[in-house]
Amino acid sequence: MDNSEDKQLSRRNFMKVAIASIGGVIGAVLGLPAIPYIMGPALQKESDDWIQLGSISKVELDIPTLFKKTIETQTGWIDTEEEILVYVLTSNGQDYIVMSNVCTHLACRVRWIPEKDSFFCPCHNGVFAKDGAVVAGPPPRPLDRFESKVEDGVIFIKRG
Amino acid sequence: MLIKIGDWLDERFSWREVWAAIFERKVPHVNWFYTLGSATLFVAINQAVTGILLTLYYVPTPDHAYDSVVYITTQLPFGWLIRGLHHWGASAMVILTVLHLLRVFYFGAYKYPREATWISGVILLLVVIGFGFTGYLLPWDQKSFWATTVGTQIAGLAPFVGDWILRIARGGRDISAVTLARFFGTHIWVLPATLAALVGIHLYLVIRIGITAVPKKDE
Ligand code: HEM
Ligand code: FES
Repeated sequence: MDNSEDKQLSRRNFMKVAIASIGGVIGAVLGLPAIPYIMGPALQKESDDWIQLGSISKVELDIPTLFKKTIETQTGWIDTEEEILVYVLTSNGQDYIVMSNVCTHLACRVRWIPEKDSFFCPCHNGVFAKDGAVVAGPPPRPLDRFESKVEDGVIFIKRG
Repeated sequence: MLIKIGDWLDERFSWREVWAAIFERKVPHVNWFYTLGSATLFVAINQAVTGILLTLYYVPTPDHAYDSVVYITTQLPFGWLIRGLHHWGASAMVILTVLHLLRVFYFGAYKYPREATWISGVILLLVVIGFGFTGYLLPWDQKSFWATTVGTQIAGLAPFVGDWILRIARGGRDISAVTLARFFGTHIWVLPATLAALVGIHLYLVIRIGITAVPKKDE
């Protein structure tokens, strides 16, 4: 409002400013909370607990070994149980790598075929070496790995 | 810049004329009771905005409705506020609509030539009540379930057509997933569309005819 020249603020202009500012405040109070409300679920941090896979005693040297684990996740208001399958590999009995069985091409599930000494993906014939490196087919990168740790002979992986 | 855009648009839409007709029309010297209609409109807009936000998360099926409502109120940032505004706004809506009706009635503002405004208003009141009735079921808790049981049962008492109305309202003999889905559809599509159309007519008439002056003693 430019009332610098005529110092007198007319009733009309006063009302205009008053209505605009009160309206602005009401609009902000109603409108601003909508933003976090809409974005909430997208910003939610996923829990980063360690998931216990099981005893490492069944993992033989240089042979990817399958571990099955059901994990509970909460998406919105729905609790879902999800079964994850991972392959655990060690070459020295000290260091373990944990690989996801999800193909890095289009997310089919890969399988370890002992006779061929490789992982095979049934969808587009992707082939991975035992450490997850791509050997053949369309997969763009090696099998994903989980962060892991071993405590008292039990192996854990990090969620996410 | 803004003025330029405004001018450009005005040349094509003549929106300033429309603006002037709505906001710069002449009104008689009236009192605060005449703001009740606008107050109702304001709450109606609040209901529309918060209602749309609620549908982003609410799911109208018996196995998810309650959980999704709890999720909105306890998990989402400001979910309690959005739901609270819609919840309390619903009651405010009914109260304000009735007060506005009473103002119109006691000031004799329903008379010629405003009968059509009154009639559109009566239908609006029914729509507002319809919103309340259908909305009450949606959280799918004990209170909503039994309130709707009783409410539809009352409709069922009407002579001859009662049982028929009850079955249509419930979508069958009992309150079920079908009831919840049709109450939801009515609450978010049928009633809002009707409300928007009627408010349009109502406000067109208010502006077109102009509002009444405060009646004098001898009138
Ligand atoms: C959703 C509900 C409604 C909304 C949003 C609404 C809105 C409005 C508004 C903004 C006005 C301008 C004057 C004033 O505010 O008093 C008005 C006037 C009027 N309303 Fe409503 N109204 C609603 C419901 C009703 C109901 C239930 C009735 C009566 C059955 C009614 C009858 C009238 C009449 C006759 C006028 C003209 C009054 C005059 O010229 O002085 N309205 N309405
Ligand atoms: S999804 Fe595995 S090769 Fe295409």
